[in-house]
Amino acid sequence: MDNVVLGVSDFVGLVNQTLEFAYPNIVIAGELANFRVSKNRWVYFDLKDEYSSVRFFGTVYMLPGPLEDGMMLQVRGAPRLHPLYGFSVTVQSMMPVGEGSLKKAAALLEAKLKSEGLFDESRKRALPYPPKTIGLITSGESAAYADFIKIMNERWSGTEIRLADVQVQGDAAVGQIVQAIEFFNAHANPPEVLVITRGGGSAEDLGAFSTEQVTRAVAASRIPTIVAIGHEVDISLAELAADHRASTPSNAAQLLVPDKPQELDRIHTWQIQLGQLLSGRVLRAQQDLFGSTNQLYERVESMVKAENDSLQRAKQLLQALSPERILERGYTILTKAGKTVRSVSDITRGDEVTLRLRDGLRKAKVE
Amino acid sequence: MTQKDFDYRKLNEELEVILAQMDSTDMDVDEAIKHYQRGMEIVEQLEAYLKGAENKVQKIKQQWDTSA
Repeated sequence: MDNVVLGVSDFVGLVNQTLEFAYPNIVIAGELANFRVSKNRWVYFDLKDEYSSVRFFGTVYMLPGPLEDGMMLQVRGAPRLHPLYGFSVTVQSMMPVGEGSLKKAAALLEAKLKSEGLFDESRKRALPYPPKTIGLITSGESAAYADFIKIMNERWSGTEIRLADVQVQGDAAVGQIVQAIEFFNAHANPPEVLVITRGGGSAEDLGAFSTEQVTRAVAASRIPTIVAIGHEVDISLAELAADHRASTPSNAAQLLVPDKPQELDRIHTWQIQLGQLLSGRVLRAQQDLFGSTNQLYERVESMVKAENDSLQRAKQLLQALSPERILERGYTILTKAGKTVRSVSDITRGDEVTLRLRDGLRKAKVE
Repeated sequence: MTQKDFDYRKLNEELEVILAQMDSTDMDVDEAIKHYQRGMEIVEQLEAYLKGAENKVQKIKQQWDTSA
């Protein structure tokens, strides 16, 4: 090789061939510096440590979230010599590492998503209570799953729970959780609520629930969501984007459905109330009826009395006009063959007549 | 009534309406009795549902693409 003279481009090609063969990809960790985004598409940055600095090149689609100089990054990429711009590593994937950088990355992502309104209170929807169908996104092997089902069975019955069995940590978790959310949303007969849950773990274990992809998928879900991650300190971004948040898988079940014994109590109270309302109504009807009967009786009574009064008045008038009263005063009524004699011409000598006096009758003969 | 068209929420709402209506004074007795009967029917259904039904877990047979 000592005697071979290469053209510049040939040299570049040779170096790249060698690099591709020796290091098809390589993982490098270091502090982020000179981070910049060009044309909203290309990303340039350096990774450095105390003694060295290496240039990297990638696209925005590979970004795990917003980044800032000073963060510790772990980057997988292919080293390459560019014909014009020199040596750089072409990024394949990248993620923040170390607690400080993870927190920093999370804070930056949170601020970005917040500014987009993903966590707004006004976006929060009410959950159906109780739901008839639940889409459960968790690991079917986990304690979180067992706890959720146990509390659901204790509290409530008749719910259809559809389990999307996904990994909740590790490399595959993010993609699987996002796919499961999309799967339920695309379903012809979607569940009424999505429960996305896992038990507690270290910040790294819970990392999937703070990624931009999962957080956006939760925010974009047309089905109302409840995210329950068992942890004590930090709230994951997926929880902030969810319609509701629960502290543990069991707590999610408690928020989702009523407690059966309490419901039975309530129904029993209503049952008693129904009976009381009906007997109250019947009693009132009886009282009304009694009142009406009384009124009716009183009305009839007063009608009878009024009738009686007017009868008495008629009787008195009648008595005042009666012939007896005239006889009392000394008059006599003369009848012939039962007919009252009103004129002298009605009788002739020898006729038999009857005299009616106050105290009786007397026959007489006309002279 | 099958499990599927049983709606716990709707029946609860109906029962609440019945109670509110019966509580108002201007209902005649015939109507009150009908409301009472319907109310008791709902109570029975809700009780039976709570005591009888079981949760059903269905595992979705879907291979989540691990490369995503």
